Amino acid sequence: MTAFLDARALPSDTVLEPDIAIIGGGPAGISLALALANTKLNVLLLESGGQNFDPANQKMYGGSQSGLSYIALDAGRLRFLGGGTNHWGGWCRPMDEVDFEAKPWLPHSGWPFPRKALEPYYPRAQALVEAGPWIYDQKGDAENAPEGSVLPLSKGGLYTSWFQFSKMRGDVLPTQFGKRYEADLKRAPNIKPLLHANITAIRLSPDAKRVEKLEGATLGSNGGAGKRFTVKPRFVVLAAGGMENARLLLVSNDVMKTGVGNQNDLVGRFFADNPVPRDVATVVSFDGPLAPFYGSNQTLDDGAIMRATFAPTAAFCRSARVLGSLSTIEQPVELDETGKAAVITTAIALGVDASNAKARSLGCGMELAPDPDRRLVLTSDKDALDLPRLKLNMRVSDEDFARYRRTLVELGRQLLASRTGMLRIDKKTRDDWMKTMDWGHHHLGTTRMHIDPKQGVVDADGLVHGLGNLYVAGSSIFPSYSASNPTLNLIALTLRLADHLKKVMA
Amino acid sequence: MKRRTLIAGVAAAGAAVAAGLYRFTDLFVKHYPPTPYDDVLAALADREEAARLGARVGNAAAPEALAARLRIILKPDGFGGAARSDIAAGRLTEVDGWVVPQSVALLSALAAKV
Repeated sequence: MTAFLDARALPSDTVLEPDIAIIGGGPAGISLALALANTKLNVLLLESGGQNFDPANQKMYGGSQSGLSYIALDAGRLRFLGGGTNHWGGWCRPMDEVDFEAKPWLPHSGWPFPRKALEPYYPRAQALVEAGPWIYDQKGDAENAPEGSVLPLSKGGLYTSWFQFSKMRGDVLPTQFGKRYEADLKRAPNIKPLLHANITAIRLSPDAKRVEKLEGATLGSNGGAGKRFTVKPRFVVLAAGGMENARLLLVSNDVMKTGVGNQNDLVGRFFADNPVPRDVATVVSFDGPLAPFYGSNQTLDDGAIMRATFAPTAAFCRSARVLGSLSTIEQPVELDETGKAAVITTAIALGVDASNAKARSLGCGMELAPDPDRRLVLTSDKDALDLPRLKLNMRVSDEDFARYRRTLVELGRQLLASRTGMLRIDKKTRDDWMKTMDWGHHHLGTTRMHIDPKQGVVDADGLVHGLGNLYVAGSSIFPSYSASNPTLNLIALTLRLADHLKKVMA
Repeated sequence: MKRRTLIAGVAAAGAAVAAGLYRFTDLFVKHYPPTPYDDVLAALADREEAARLGARVGNAAAPEALAARLRIILKPDGFGGAARSDIAAGRLTEVDGWVVPQSVALLSALAAKV
């Protein structure tokens, strides 16, 4: 077992020549390195940070914003080994088949391949996030429910689906890739993790067909650049996260003047996150409290941690023209006089006893429609290594909210049809939605995947269009987004890339 | 005491007792002044709660028009049947955000108007 290398300890102007350089030691970068472990490939894993949080390093993520109020650009991501997994909540759910479909009514939607292309990789992704046995929607029917009964919903647009969770360790957060896989990374003879190694530019050959080298620097103790180094890899995989992937391509503009891979002005566009509006609705269960797995995580005997959610069916997504949403039961709610009147009058009409009715609030993770003007651009403001900082123009359209509202109405209809409950939609205006808006902190879409270079930055394998040896990994290549949390899915996608690289580099 | 006075007294006392009993049973079954729409409103087991909900419906139609519409809606299968039909057909109305069958909203609106 070898120790991690520290770029600050490299001799000045060191030149490293690996087979593959992976830029970024988050879940994508680490998963890729582990997938290439014990192969003949010499893998250099470049991580900007160390093994712990460093405020000076984190500060390089800072940026500005316009448009809709959004979380600060240096929040929601962490610049040290393990990346976002150092603070994630562990929510896992595979994307649905419909998430991959091109929807005729939704511009820019669809992946270049169906879900079945990722299916072989989900079991290994599930193992890497330590979410226990693959169960998910196998728990959808009442007989297999973890504890208590599933709320019966009549046939319709939504069904009870399930999240699984990365293994919790007491009160500690779920699997943190930097810590959990430290030993594995050190043990693999062909992997060299290099910490405190910031890549500051991707330098192309004069014909703009290949990456020739990467320029790197450490953060010096004086607050500026420290040591400089160069990496000359055969292949490069950019896995620095949904914002930094775009930033590195845009700042590398010496040969391609608009930035690497940006010949069609797509890099940085189509940014997305999953809006997480709270208290979107009130759900009343006529027959008393809901089973515990609706409101909180439940650990099963086999170690799986699960929580129920209401998801739209593929048929409903297609017919009602809605996007993904995962609605979860949250806090108990006291009904006001109108609410009590609504419950009593409706229950009488339906011929059910609602004397024991209980109300809970409903929260949601939503999918946004792809929007080219929700984008990241460079500014004249620079970070400690003299790299231009990012500015995000954030937008959510009224139609995004309207789509989810249609989903809520359908859930309300199904509760009534099954005579098990009813629902109040607590959001009417755009201000209502924004008042309780939270975000998934999922940075998606900025180097989108498409077979057509005019519509995507990378092809179906993650290769940057027009280049022969630069790939992008992670959720920045998601062309449309799903409501499922991205970590499990981006890891599956990265494992697929690993298989591709093994083939092309053999 | 004259016989006529006695009869009048007994009748008055009887009326008073009847009125009292009527008021007493109000505790269990609310009594409302008669309206031209009682045949429709009879479908409501709790007219007071329905009226509270109906106050938020915001239906501008006159009670006569509402009642006429409801007579048609309720005729085949009563209130429960109408509600179930609405749900199956997706005829839902939001009342103060509550997603309810259209017939529930209309009947509640009528209850609020009388």
